[in-house]
Amino acid sequence: MTLTRNLTQQLFGLQSCIGLTVLVCLFALTGCDGSPPARFHLNMVAQSKERVDEANQQQVADILTAMFGTPDNPFVLPETGLDINKLRRAAGPVSSDKIGQRTGLYREHCVHCHGISGDGMGPTAAFLKPYPRDFRQGVFKFKSNALNAMPTDEDLMRTLKHGLENSAMPSFEVALPPADLEALAEYVKYLSMRGQTELALIAQVFETVDDDDKDKRLLSSSREMLLDTVLLPIAEQWQNANDSVVRPEEPPADFGSLASIEKGRQLFFGNKGGCVKCHGTTALGDGQTTDFDAWSKLVIDAKAAAEGTIEKQPGAREALSKKIAEFEARKNKVGKAEPFASPEAEQEAKDSIAEDEKTYVENEFFSHMQLRAIDEFSLPPRNIEPRNLRMGYYRGGRRPIDIYYRLATGIYGTPMPGIAGPAVTTEEIWNIVDYVLAVPLEPGGQLGADRTMAARERN
Amino acid sequence: MSSVTVGSHGHGDSKSGHGKHDHGHSAAHGHADAHGHGHAAGFISTYVFSKDHKVIGIQFLFSTLIWFLVGGLLALAVRWQLAWPWSNVPLLEHLYTAEGGQMAPETYTMLFTMHATVMIFLVIIPILAGAFGNYLIPLMIGADDMAFPTLNMLSYWFMWPAFFFFGGSFFTAGHGASSGWTSYPTLSSSPAAAPGSGTAQTMWLMGLTFVGVSSMMGSVNYMTTIIQMRAPGMSMFRMPLTIWSMFITAVLQAFALPVLTAAGFMQLMDRLWGTGFFTPEGSIINNTMHTAGGGQTLLWQHLFWFYSHPAVYIMILPAMGMVSDIIAVFARKPIFGYKPMVYSIAGIAGLGFIVWGHHMFVSGMNPMLGMTFMVSTMMIALPSAIKVFNWIGTLWGGHIQFATPMLFALSFVSMFIIGGLSGIFMAATPVDIFIHDTYFIVAHFHYVLFSGTAMGVFGAIYFWYPKMFGRMMNEGLGKIHFATTFILLNLVFFPMHVLGAVGFPRRLADPYHYDTFRFLKPLNQFMTICALLLVTVQVVFIFNFFYSMFFGKTAGRNPWRSNTLEWQTPSPPGHGNFDFQPVVYRGPYEYGSPEVSTDFYPQTQEPPPGVSNPPAHGH
Amino acid sequence: MGKIWSLLFLLVLIGGVGCFLVAPSYNLTLPQDVSSHGHAIDHLYVFILVLTGVVFVATQAVFFWFLWKYDAANNREPVKYTHGSHTLEIVWTIIPAATLLFIALYQMNAWASSKMRMPNILPTVEVSARQFEWRLRYPGPDQILGTRDDLFHVNDLHIPVNEEILIDLKSQDVLHSFFLPNLRVKQDAVPGMKIPVWFKATETGSYDIVCAELCGWGHYKMKGRLVVQSRQDYDRWLQEMYKAQAQTASPPASEEDN
Repeated sequence: MTLTRNLTQQLFGLQSCIGLTVLVCLFALTGCDGSPPARFHLNMVAQSKERVDEANQQQVADILTAMFGTPDNPFVLPETGLDINKLRRAAGPVSSDKIGQRTGLYREHCVHCHGISGDGMGPTAAFLKPYPRDFRQGVFKFKSNALNAMPTDEDLMRTLKHGLENSAMPSFEVALPPADLEALAEYVKYLSMRGQTELALIAQVFETVDDDDKDKRLLSSSREMLLDTVLLPIAEQWQNANDSVVRPEEPPADFGSLASIEKGRQLFFGNKGGCVKCHGTTALGDGQTTDFDAWSKLVIDAKAAAEGTIEKQPGAREALSKKIAEFEARKNKVGKAEPFASPEAEQEAKDSIAEDEKTYVENEFFSHMQLRAIDEFSLPPRNIEPRNLRMGYYRGGRRPIDIYYRLATGIYGTPMPGIAGPAVTTEEIWNIVDYVLAVPLEPGGQLGADRTMAARERN
Repeated sequence: MSSVTVGSHGHGDSKSGHGKHDHGHSAAHGHADAHGHGHAAGFISTYVFSKDHKVIGIQFLFSTLIWFLVGGLLALAVRWQLAWPWSNVPLLEHLYTAEGGQMAPETYTMLFTMHATVMIFLVIIPILAGAFGNYLIPLMIGADDMAFPTLNMLSYWFMWPAFFFFGGSFFTAGHGASSGWTSYPTLSSSPAAAPGSGTAQTMWLMGLTFVGVSSMMGSVNYMTTIIQMRAPGMSMFRMPLTIWSMFITAVLQAFALPVLTAAGFMQLMDRLWGTGFFTPEGSIINNTMHTAGGGQTLLWQHLFWFYSHPAVYIMILPAMGMVSDIIAVFARKPIFGYKPMVYSIAGIAGLGFIVWGHHMFVSGMNPMLGMTFMVSTMMIALPSAIKVFNWIGTLWGGHIQFATPMLFALSFVSMFIIGGLSGIFMAATPVDIFIHDTYFIVAHFHYVLFSGTAMGVFGAIYFWYPKMFGRMMNEGLGKIHFATTFILLNLVFFPMHVLGAVGFPRRLADPYHYDTFRFLKPLNQFMTICALLLVTVQVVFIFNFFYSMFFGKTAGRNPWRSNTLEWQTPSPPGHGNFDFQPVVYRGPYEYGSPEVSTDFYPQTQEPPPGVSNPPAHGH
Repeated sequence: MGKIWSLLFLLVLIGGVGCFLVAPSYNLTLPQDVSSHGHAIDHLYVFILVLTGVVFVATQAVFFWFLWKYDAANNREPVKYTHGSHTLEIVWTIIPAATLLFIALYQMNAWASSKMRMPNILPTVEVSARQFEWRLRYPGPDQILGTRDDLFHVNDLHIPVNEEILIDLKSQDVLHSFFLPNLRVKQDAVPGMKIPVWFKATETGSYDIVCAELCGWGHYKMKGRLVVQSRQDYDRWLQEMYKAQAQTASPPASEEDN
């Protein structure tokens, strides 16, 4: 009796158990298959700034997909000079199933900061100081060549290998084999070219759009236009990166001596170098601190443009209210208001008001949509902080040659200018390099002889 | 006139006619009216803002079980990432912020932080003290309610702000606190240190404070009730071990909690007003300079573990007590060594206050101090060992009935042996250098807290369910639940020991890019599959729980033929609990006593004429 | 049914012992030890493993046997009505107490040599942990930290083999833990403290540096590499690094033509 009962109970339990297991598994499986494939985001900040409408946005997206493929399946035209095999290694979902070969490197190591589109807006990005780089403008800070040139392969590899000291960019030299690093550097170039292409296309739209006939799609998608006008200039910039590498003369013989450092100090604090304007009279980076870098500036400009749409119709709201009040007065024959001559005239005035209202509302609505898009697709702009040189961090590297590059050509995308020119000689730059390397060793610097900390003393 | 051993109330003279559990007594004879509540009470005051300890206990039970499910799902997400790092997490992928459906690394840190937080502060501590402590203490000592019913009600409702803060923190930046449940500064105290160290961490600290307030209210109440409100004849050494463990747990809470609360406020001040208790001079986190310095990060660890190590015992002692009761009932035999059991609970509690430093062997604390803590830590293994030996002694020569509650209680003993023994590795300081913060410790505390406490809690739910809801839980489903849970939990947690032996560190979102640990991935995948199944089979329990509430077999007063007082009341007991005045004549574990023909001998049963009452306990 | 449940509990014994017996053949055991002090730790680990193993087997076996034997369905004998045994309680208090005390005393020497007997030498390198990297600073040829010739490096810690190494461990921001699995070294890096860590590597090769204390979202990627080299190789590496750090010329153009 009890046995059968127990058994039925157990079977009953078993059934519900199995049923639910199957249900949960099914759920899990649908979850796996149901996730949409990764997609590149449009550069909404630029799109919004130039007021690209939805049809043209779609067109830009289609052209980009045709030219560059998707995050899971990248594609490049031979004109870019990019190696598709390297890109395939870096792109796609993370996978290490294949023996030895790992793919999806970008999504394993980079995506949570730099974002799937290379927009520097991964989930972790907003919290980091400084923000991760947005590759899409082709603006890179730490390079060995001319200020506005694209970085050389070696520059990118150096950043990947050594990281950027005192930022969240880690050193990957130990973590990844060289081949993986090369694949990632190639992918960064790919994302950058893709972003630059998008910007160029947006500019094309902006130039060719016809104000009178917005429905007319003027962006030509002819091969000639896309290749010659858009892609080739960008690809050339990248291919010519090595041409403008800075090759300074050897430093003076007294490089590293106290005399050289002293000369550097004079230059640093003097007018010639102009360093104190930002880095401050203490070299603590406490001079001018209200400027922005290029990436923040783009966001600020785009916002200003969006807000300007409202401001472009100054008094539009007041004019509209006045017009409505006048209409009401005439209609209701209040006071001295002149009544409408005919119902047609009244209707005409009414239509005119409706049209003004429509324009006004449309403008305002569009501006708000622009602002929303910008907010959603950008990080809040932050002031750029000049380096506190007493900390002993050199983000672009601490070799004398690294600091020379920074001084000679400046840091692209930031207010740091290059000082090489007729006014400042190579030797003087080397002197400043000397001083900059010595600052953190001075009293008050962080690299000087070890200060006693609240350490536990033993023995 | 029987010679009652005089209890704390000093009722030498019991009312006559109270021999056996007397069903004949009407409710009017009971205490319900005498206590001024439960009369014409409305729905709200009966079931929501109730001051009845049983309703509050069941409220705690439901709340904590819901959080148990949440905590389990968080654990699955953690396991998913460990098995298939950076792949899309089914169902939950849309909640994660990373693009392409994969988890962001800070999400992983949030997941394990919130898994531990939920499990410890919203499940284990409140389910033991809040749910079972509340429900059982008055019933088992023969009281009509807690000493302070209003305070008791508040202790439950002060959990709600904690639910709100912990739950709400999932919807803030960083999706929840992410500096580990230990919340070590400066990772936790600096909003710049992690995405989850912003608002989420503040909410976490607030939630912690409210859990503390709730626990403190509970402890005061439990201590007072146990000291003051025992039935006539219920001397301290006639109390069931459940009550002893609840009592000592309450003492532990009362003494340790203020320290955590103070530490929590210090961290809150560090965060909100930059006081710098835990921030040392000159630390720059994520390029954010801190205004105040001169603090010490290790201070937090001392304060935190001064509470949280006793808390480890707060999380296990009540389960030990309940398991002792269950084992005695189903072995039909007195507990072996009642007094040593009591003393070892007290010993664990006492030693529990001087072992906190064993969490800090490699923290930078003076190694000489580490040696001291090592010795005290070694010694705390002793009372635990005594308890295990006594449980096994209780089984010896019994008539063991393998009912579902007993199976869970037995698994508690079996699993606690593993959890206890693995603790010795960590206590050995040189070995701890290697296994500290590896999966060895993860294995250890999951064996104690899941395989131990949670299994004990399951046993307690199956055991006291008939008292709570008047119906039996389904045995067949219960056994399926037990067998699957037992096998799967071992498959999930036992391999963690060997992972720890390899040095596999905990809390890594992707441990496999270390050459040393790459080959451990298949084992982790196996464990994750078992963990998925483990959570899935809990559906059987959930179903059984609700199904039995309405369709289970009616239980009657004493379905397990148990001795303790709660089983002499109706199931479920009405307001005021007892429908007669309980008088206690003997200890709680007189099973198989030669004095009576039945194999159980309720504490309230008057001894047959001519038999002098046995001493409270002893040998 | 009781017998089946007893057997289920016997599985714990079989599985537990089996797991630890089988694990070494899958390499699931302590990783290779290349330090001079590691064998003491490994020895203690094995010692405790055997000791707890014996206790585990004994208690689980007795536990199983009682469940099997005293199953209510089969046990016809009356219940043994006993409240315990004073002698037994004393026995099973004294024996574990003595064992535990023995372990406590037995391990002290290993602990002291790992954490208390600091060698009286100059630090080889300063390791400064930062979210999420190991910043390394070697004193230059003048052997003094804090001068112009200091060598800066990240994540890639080179040391000479068979020499006592002293590391100054610091943290720049939050807690980290410097974990060398193969050298049985683990020490938290605490902001505001400079903690000495010492060891001697006995075999050349490349080993992982693991961060073992949660340090934020990137905790998992705080991977370093310990390269143990012969003295000559180490010196050569140092010279190369000094040279690279002092570089004042751009790389030659020829290399870039591709």
